[in-house]
Amino acid sequence: MTTTGWIVLALLAALAVWAISVFNGLVQRRNRIANAFGQIDVQLKRRYDLIPNLVDVAKRYLAHEADTLEAVTRARGAAVGAAATARDQPTNAQAVQALGAAEHELSGTLGRLMVVAEAYPELKADATMRSLSEELTSTENRVGFARQAYNDEVLSYNDAAMQFPGLVVARLLGFAQAAILQSTQSAAEREAPRVAF
Amino acid sequence: MLIFEQQDSARAQSLRLLVLFALAVAATVAGVHAALALSWWTLLWLPLHLPFPALFFSVNIGVTLLLILGGWWIEVSNFKQPGGAEQLARRLGAREARPDSNESEQRLCNIVDEVCIAARMPHPLVMVLPRKQAINAIAAGCDEADCVVAVTQGALDWLTRDELQGMVAHECSHIQEGDTRLNMELAGMVSGLELVWRFGDDVRDRGGPAWLVGSIVMAMGSFGWYAGRCLQAAVSRQREYLADARAVQWTRSRDGLGGVLRKAMTQQETLVTADDEPQWQTAMQHLLLVPEMAPGGRWLDAHPPLRERIHRIYGRFMPALPLKDPANTGQAVAL
Repeated sequence: MTTTGWIVLALLAALAVWAISVFNGLVQRRNRIANAFGQIDVQLKRRYDLIPNLVDVAKRYLAHEADTLEAVTRARGAAVGAAATARDQPTNAQAVQALGAAEHELSGTLGRLMVVAEAYPELKADATMRSLSEELTSTENRVGFARQAYNDEVLSYNDAAMQFPGLVVARLLGFAQAAILQSTQSAAEREAPRVAF
Repeated sequence: MLIFEQQDSARAQSLRLLVLFALAVAATVAGVHAALALSWWTLLWLPLHLPFPALFFSVNIGVTLLLILGGWWIEVSNFKQPGGAEQLARRLGAREARPDSNESEQRLCNIVDEVCIAARMPHPLVMVLPRKQAINAIAAGCDEADCVVAVTQGALDWLTRDELQGMVAHECSHIQEGDTRLNMELAGMVSGLELVWRFGDDVRDRGGPAWLVGSIVMAMGSFGWYAGRCLQAAVSRQREYLADARAVQWTRSRDGLGGVLRKAMTQQETLVTADDEPQWQTAMQHLLLVPEMAPGGRWLDAHPPLRERIHRIYGRFMPALPLKDPANTGQAVAL
């Protein structure tokens, strides 16, 4: 083979190595997005698990507020059901919307419970209640941070997939741009992977 | 975005400083050889022109490098023992946090979990320094399996939840960005440079012509030592800015870490630290959130001034915040 032939061959090999490394980098980043999305789900579940305990403790002090407590329990049940449906059919827009509505309802009833609790100093002073409300605050933060981490992963993936020359590999092998979570509603959290992949 | 620009600038600055550090080490090695060669040449110039002794170059360079790298290796291997970070924290008086029996420590452990989600890093060991009333925190550890975040009792008592979050985020940035490791390596190099100085001192002690050789080695060693310390401190200051910007990025809040620094400013002004409290060792200063000692030489400070850090976080100057018990203002409990 001539020298030119060898040079062309070497260039082609270098190009292939480069394309493989870009491809692997993109796959790795995309998997990290999926992982970050899983983290949001874990934290939402944590929130669902906390609520029954919170209601149990509140029941002892809020005998006259049975309606409020019942509303929280109902809303939580609806949200858990909607979450399961949305997890099974992540591409079903209706299921995702239903989850959004259920999450919204749950936040609303929880908010009302907190307002009611303000009027019961013994409840606020209860050690278990304080501990549970700290857990709930933390869980809200975790959901928020998990969403943020998700967005950071999306940003890193999009940077890699949309910048030249990685863009060429990404376009040829069908790596689409991933969507950043916009809303603070949980519906968007479920909706995101549907948009992304 | 300003936070990301600040991070890029801090990273670029510390890289530049690291290159300078490497140059300082190289200059010390080259300086020892050059100065010895010059003196040999001057000494023997008058009677006759002798060639350099055999292996003159190799011995000069080899011995100096051996001293620097040996000092570095000894220092680093001291730190690198398994569980070293936890032991270090325990030596400073820290104990493990007790989330099940103490409300504020439950909050602390939760906050560390939250920040680790935001930072996408594994959990460090959470510890508390129960005897310290000053608002402060330390991060230690070189790898993911062995790292510690310890917070003082004063921080638990005086800070709101958001502020504590900012503080923990700052410390977690030190761990995630590998600052504790970097600082350990640099400290090792500095002690290697110090060994050059000490070796010169030993040689000079023998008197005679060794006195001159020793003095030269000492002069070069002290140049390297001082330059190394200045550069180590400068790198450390850049890593503080980086950690501040990271904390703001992760917590999405200026008032969290900003509040911590402004309260720390109040504490520095009023000096609430009791005299009987154990003081941090000088060698540990770079691990702290805010420096405890009165600012001495600015060149050797491991932390930028609080005012400057607050200015960078807010984009303008902010006054110190009064210390208030957050339990009384109702901010601690979200209910």
